[in-house]
Amino acid sequence: MSDGYHDNEHEHHASAWGPHDWSHGAPHNSWSPIIMSIGIGIFLYTVASVYSWGEMVDSSSIALVLIGMMITFFGLLIWWRQDASFDGVYEPKATGTPFQNIEIRKVAMWVFLMSEMMVFTSLFSTYMRYRFGIDSCQEVYESGSWIVNSQNVDTGEAVNCFLPASELIASSWFHIAPGAINTFALIVSSFTIVQALRWAKKPVGSVDEEVRRKRVYRYLGSTWVLAIIFLTLKMVEWFIGFYIPAIGPFHEHDIMSLVEEGYTIHADHYHPHHGWDDVHLAELAALHPEDYQAYLAAVGPNYEPTNAVMLADIRVSSSTFFVTTGTHGAHVFIGIIGLTYMTWKAWTGGYTPQNAVSIEYFGLYWHFVDLIWVLVFPFFYLY
Amino acid sequence: MVASVLFWELFDEYILWSLLVGILTFGWLFHHSFWYTSSKEEEYSNPDKIEVGVFPRHNDDMKLEVAWTILPFILIVYLTYISWAPLDAVWTSADGGIHGNECEEGQSSNNYLDSSSGAIVSECYHIIEITAKQWVWSFNCNPNDDSWRGDVVPDRGFELQTDLCDVGTISIEGYGMQPLLSLKSGETYLAVMQSEDVTHAPWVQVIGTKEDVLPSQTTTLWLPMSEAGESMILCTEYCGDAHSIMSAGLFVHN
Amino acid sequence: MKKNFIQSRIIVVMTVLIAAMIFTPLVSSFPTGISGVKDSGCNCHGATTSDSVTPMIMGLPEVYNYSQVYELTVSFTGGPSTPGNINLGGFHLWASEGELSVTDATAQQYNPNEVGHTEVGNDQTSWTVTWTAPDTDRNVEMILHVNSVNGNAGDGAGSSGDEWNKISQKINAPILVLESANPYVVLSTLIVISGILLFITVTYIFYRTNPDSFNWESFEPWISDWLTTTDHKKIGTLYFLAGMFFLGIGGIMALMIRIQLSVPGNDFLTQDQYNQFFTLHGTTMIFLAAMPLINGFANWMVPLQIGAPDLALPRINAMSFWLQPVAALLIFTGVFSGTGADTGWTGYAPYIVSETAHVGTTMWVAGQIMLVASSTLTGVNFLTTIAVMRAPGMGWMQMPLFTWSILIANLMLFLSIPAFGVGLVQVYLDRVIGTAFYDASAGGDPLLWSHLFWYFGHPEVYVVIVPAFGVISEVIATSARRSVFGYRSMVYAMAGIGVVSFIVYGHHMFTSGMSPTLRFVTMLTTMIVAVPTGIKIFNWLKTMHKGSLIYRTHTLWALGFLITFTLGGISGMFFPSMAMDLHFHESYFVVAHFHYVLVGGTVFGFFSAIYYWFPKMTGRMMDERLGVLHFLTAFISYNAVFWPMHRLGIWGMARRHHTYFISTEEAMGSLPAEAAGWNMFISISAFLFFFSNFILIANMIKSVIRGQKAPADPWGGWSFEWMTSSPPPTPSFPLDDLPTLKDANEDHIANEPSAIVKWFQGLMVLDNEEEVSH
Repeated sequence: MSDGYHDNEHEHHASAWGPHDWSHGAPHNSWSPIIMSIGIGIFLYTVASVYSWGEMVDSSSIALVLIGMMITFFGLLIWWRQDASFDGVYEPKATGTPFQNIEIRKVAMWVFLMSEMMVFTSLFSTYMRYRFGIDSCQEVYESGSWIVNSQNVDTGEAVNCFLPASELIASSWFHIAPGAINTFALIVSSFTIVQALRWAKKPVGSVDEEVRRKRVYRYLGSTWVLAIIFLTLKMVEWFIGFYIPAIGPFHEHDIMSLVEEGYTIHADHYHPHHGWDDVHLAELAALHPEDYQAYLAAVGPNYEPTNAVMLADIRVSSSTFFVTTGTHGAHVFIGIIGLTYMTWKAWTGGYTPQNAVSIEYFGLYWHFVDLIWVLVFPFFYLY
Repeated sequence: MVASVLFWELFDEYILWSLLVGILTFGWLFHHSFWYTSSKEEEYSNPDKIEVGVFPRHNDDMKLEVAWTILPFILIVYLTYISWAPLDAVWTSADGGIHGNECEEGQSSNNYLDSSSGAIVSECYHIIEITAKQWVWSFNCNPNDDSWRGDVVPDRGFELQTDLCDVGTISIEGYGMQPLLSLKSGETYLAVMQSEDVTHAPWVQVIGTKEDVLPSQTTTLWLPMSEAGESMILCTEYCGDAHSIMSAGLFVHN
Repeated sequence: MKKNFIQSRIIVVMTVLIAAMIFTPLVSSFPTGISGVKDSGCNCHGATTSDSVTPMIMGLPEVYNYSQVYELTVSFTGGPSTPGNINLGGFHLWASEGELSVTDATAQQYNPNEVGHTEVGNDQTSWTVTWTAPDTDRNVEMILHVNSVNGNAGDGAGSSGDEWNKISQKINAPILVLESANPYVVLSTLIVISGILLFITVTYIFYRTNPDSFNWESFEPWISDWLTTTDHKKIGTLYFLAGMFFLGIGGIMALMIRIQLSVPGNDFLTQDQYNQFFTLHGTTMIFLAAMPLINGFANWMVPLQIGAPDLALPRINAMSFWLQPVAALLIFTGVFSGTGADTGWTGYAPYIVSETAHVGTTMWVAGQIMLVASSTLTGVNFLTTIAVMRAPGMGWMQMPLFTWSILIANLMLFLSIPAFGVGLVQVYLDRVIGTAFYDASAGGDPLLWSHLFWYFGHPEVYVVIVPAFGVISEVIATSARRSVFGYRSMVYAMAGIGVVSFIVYGHHMFTSGMSPTLRFVTMLTTMIVAVPTGIKIFNWLKTMHKGSLIYRTHTLWALGFLITFTLGGISGMFFPSMAMDLHFHESYFVVAHFHYVLVGGTVFGFFSAIYYWFPKMTGRMMDERLGVLHFLTAFISYNAVFWPMHRLGIWGMARRHHTYFISTEEAMGSLPAEAAGWNMFISISAFLFFFSNFILIANMIKSVIRGQKAPADPWGGWSFEWMTSSPPPTPSFPLDDLPTLKDANEDHIANEPSAIVKWFQGLMVLDNEEEVSH
């Protein structure tokens, strides 16, 4: 180890803006924390000025939102700039039992993942509370009770019920395709990140340095591409939808996105389009004659009982879906930001066996994000 | 001022034990802080040979430590035990609990204080309804099928006499015009409650009880009225601007 | 020099941006209709005012004559009222001074300040009342509410379609009378003054460091070193200063609350202002004062106590700190425009997502999201540091108790705060992009928020008290010159509190309508909390046994802590007893209890810490005489503030009510007559308590400047922080020269890990040792 731990002595007072001289260890002064904090603050403040209860109230503040994001990113650039010079000579190791000789930052990453676990636990608690606490839309529909109580045929009043997104997504192979491809993409990306680590770690001399550089940045780059695919398909599934023309024996398909189908966080008068709600009132009359009679009595004798439509207020269901999968998406997005930097650093040949372990830290996070998806996918897409 | 026997019995019991624990602790504290004080010459005495960089000798006594784990635990068990019994008075079942079943037409609760438990026991109870919204209480002596309560409280088929339950308004100094609920002493009421907007909670000060009133969920609150008098109902779950004047008068007559 | 030029320009831009965030309220207030005593009565005709209704008061002079009687005609035009209906409208007139009375049956008098229509007068759009002007010089305000009714009440449609509006009018006194102070102006003036004082202090400190180089060229690197530092000691100092600053701000708010409550029916604050002040008082004290104070000492002392060069992740540590001042700005933004958060620090749903809660609530939520991020990063840092960076020879069971307490507090915080964070994000999204997590009309569950909040909230209150336990353990043992009694049971008790904290939170929800089974379970677990807490108190007492207690200021505060914390603990035992809690919930008994544990526990504990570690941190001894004066005044006035609140709570004084009224022979009220006197007593004592703490500030400033030089180990402690010089060098312990802890107990083998630990190491260290450590 080198002569000292701190560099506060003025002779090697590294810039608080730029690359650090890591040979004598951490810490170094840095402008990054204060700038990033201000950026995040401006972002949170201005987003709430632009939107209020789902409506855009002040579009002029969008500029400020962008400024907030730019300041945050500027802070992040400083962070990276200081980190880019990190060559692994100084990698702090644990001294206390029972962790002796483990990299300190690896322990920190594991500890951090503990709290990430709690974040998703809380989101799943919310989901379970609503999934099991609110009647499902299908049950409400089939019970027929909505005909009598909700008067929604004419007045448009909606019934509160839970419509899991899986009703829509798992309804056909085409709907589920983006999610399925995404699952595959994430699992493969977990493999590529490990490959990047493996190549970076090969002892000096056992592999040509140019080969190492290429392998590492290509594997990191593939991980980056797979993560981008993930988010792109997510956008397709949420907002865009896709179209498959008729080719050969296959029929054409126009797959609507969730938002196009009306499954949004503002869906307080949602009209479900799938399977169970195609039953007409006449069929329901056969299923629930008593409810039907009560309904007739309520609407009066001259009412034509056709086209009964159950309108559902599914805002709670869609909120839990979009926010839980969105939180996961945000984690992927943060991963992409990290991968962008790492791929660039790998491209410059920045990874050697000495500092390869920082790929492992990212890998831990990335595997965690993958693992969460493996939980989110069955709960929100299949079941 | 709260006039619930149950409350004061528990309170007195707790105060007694608090005093005992307090006297023990503070006596001990004052004794040690004056008895084991360093005099000038022994200011630098060091009985445990503490020195920097050396983890000091253990200073423990298993018997003592176990003793003051077990003894407080026993006290806790006792306090839990005496707090356990009144739970029935607080949340008795609305069906055959200590307040019996719902009263028939013309039937009276005839409630009385059960001196062994401190709880008030009744033959039957009357259902009334409390609806809260920002920032008004509204009382209804005769819940029926018309609104939200239709799902919760079936229409009992008769109306309570105004002697048993009546609503009105009252001007309370500082609070302005507020709703008034008149009840009869010796009668027990079960309030079914719902809110139209945010969470509220009626604090029936005279019997020292409250329960949150939630939107789109129904909660219930037992009101066993045993003494005549005038008191207030306040809101005690923060509900916005006029939270502190969201109140009502409660008249209990003989 | 060019680089410096760019840096200072960025500082200027940042400052302008921060200022813009404070002074440009981009969000505007929602009309809430009803606010305050004088403003009730129209909400049954719709929630918001309507511009199509025009109220008028005719017959008012601009300047009144003493005791003259004026005949006023109140009327309105517009709105849905149609001539010919039985019901046309109503009014309510309030006058701040003088006496209102009625002349005919269409109007009625509620009290001398309020008149309104009668049922007879329901078919009018104009009414006549009289007003007798006051006989003294008072500026008068009148507020008129009118309802324009469409007359469909008889059809069972209630008040739908009705509209209402209000106006207020001012009548001046014959001679000029000064307007009473606007509380916002008072608050922001005080904050600005504190800011200026802070600036002067910073400049002065810089001047003192080197009087010869008092210029920008040397100030700029000095200040940017503080802004960019990643050194645990400097960040600790920053945390400490921020904590003290916000302790003052929170204290000023508490004083405003106390002025308002000093007499019954006071109108120093409007209800609206009061709601914002108690919300921000709670948030400020917990998140911006107590936590930073604790983090300040944790940052300073944990690396020193375990013999580590710094925290595990220094830059992340700086990030944790800098998130806090920015978050504080967000939390306070609303206050400057009069629309601060008014939800209470618990922010119960669905009020927090309703439009009746101020717009500032969104910013308050955003600020707290940043605080959650900050706490998470702090948690990662301290858990990692304490787990892996202990010096050789220091096993888990040789850690100083303050380090133990920080470890347990951070573990609790770390595992609970994500739930709060997720809840806050849900609320933020509800309020901003319109999701429906807590929208009751969409089926959202208010109790879900309560569960997420209290799952965090209860561990949180232990997070702020457990570090104080650590401080007291150190101080009592050092002052009594003994090793702490029952080190192991102390650790187990703290760990026990940590475990139990996660399963007791239901006692905040005893009246919530949650399932009785759950309430019963949490009643049992809550009772259990008393056992580990009792163990700790008895252990502290036994530590003094056969010791030789030296009275220093920190000793006094520690003994004071034992008294107040025991009292707070005992009053806490009343809450799990359900039949009593139903009365105590949301009353002043609760306020008294948690101030006894939070002020008497946490704040007193950290006052003790200030006097204990100040010599280590600054290299200067504090003035003992001022310290004793501070202890005596603060301790006595503190008890005078909070002890009577127990009784007020039992009498029926409700928390979060901006005023209260006394029961008299003629009028009904919620409190007995003695309550007024006690409230005045509490308010006076609160001022004493607030100002007594300036002795501490003065003492610190005086001691930093001309205190005696401190030796390395002024009190005779054993842990590593007393090994370094005062103030410690940087690095405190160089990585190649870490200290080794010896152990006075012969049975202990420090460096031989147990079988379980070896197995664990086998799991963790997979790589070939040589390759990793090259």
